[in-house]
Amino acid sequence: MVPVGACLGLSAVLFAIGLIGFLGRRNIILMLVSVEIMLNAVNVSLAAFSHRLHDPRGQILALFVIAVAAAEAAVGLGLVLALSRNRTGVNVEDLTELKW
Amino acid sequence: MPIIAGQIAFYYLAAASVASAVLAVTRRNPVHSMLWVLALFLHVAGIFLLVGAEFLAAVQVIVYAGAILVFYLFFLMLLDLSQEAAEPRFGAHWPLCAGAGLGFALLAWYSRDPGLVPTAARAAAGGPPPGSLSAVGTALFTQFALPFEIASLILLAAIVGAVVIARRKATS
Repeated sequence: MVPVGACLGLSAVLFAIGLIGFLGRRNIILMLVSVEIMLNAVNVSLAAFSHRLHDPRGQILALFVIAVAAAEAAVGLGLVLALSRNRTGVNVEDLTELKW
Repeated sequence: MPIIAGQIAFYYLAAASVASAVLAVTRRNPVHSMLWVLALFLHVAGIFLLVGAEFLAAVQVIVYAGAILVFYLFFLMLLDLSQEAAEPRFGAHWPLCAGAGLGFALLAWYSRDPGLVPTAARAAAGGPPPGSLSAVGTALFTQFALPFEIASLILLAAIVGAVVIARRKATS
């Protein structure tokens, strides 16, 4: 019913939007949210493959992606919290201690 | 008729997803961004329903829209970001980022017709549709039992790691 090519195109566009957000935004929390958008785009293409190939394994892979996204959110936001103790604001441009 | 309705629903959901993703990435206020991400997650759940992944749609709403997004919103309110609204949203290198994103979208767009064909055995077997809860559950707890346990271990490690990282240092 749903063309798999359209699903993959949607997935590509969503991934590109997330990529632009991750590379371009200055707020570190919105960078993490852009990563979530990218993971969601991958889930769309996995579900489309599962639909096209009549195989539940694509959906199981997407479930694992969701589990890893939850773990990433917990650790990433923990890092942001530890970071915000030492400085005000959450701009990545202020984090230059490791810059060569 | 149902085929046309499904296609209309798909194109509505796809357009709404792309629009809410663009708004989420470009809004100035982080809370508004989060709310647009919520709209994105709900529309993606609708797409999961359309491609026959009911369980995935439910997990998307419960885990992504319910847990992860509330976690992010909680964090935004924990931090004081009032000065954030006055500053530029994107770094000075944003044209490079936009170029990278557009390049990736073009690259993936040109490979959008993968020519996938289901294997004859699967198409002929006719068993339960792949999205049904029983098919997903059976595969998850038989063939993928070990990865399932490893995923729970990863979640445990993430919980412990988040607590350790975010804990205030004891004054010695």
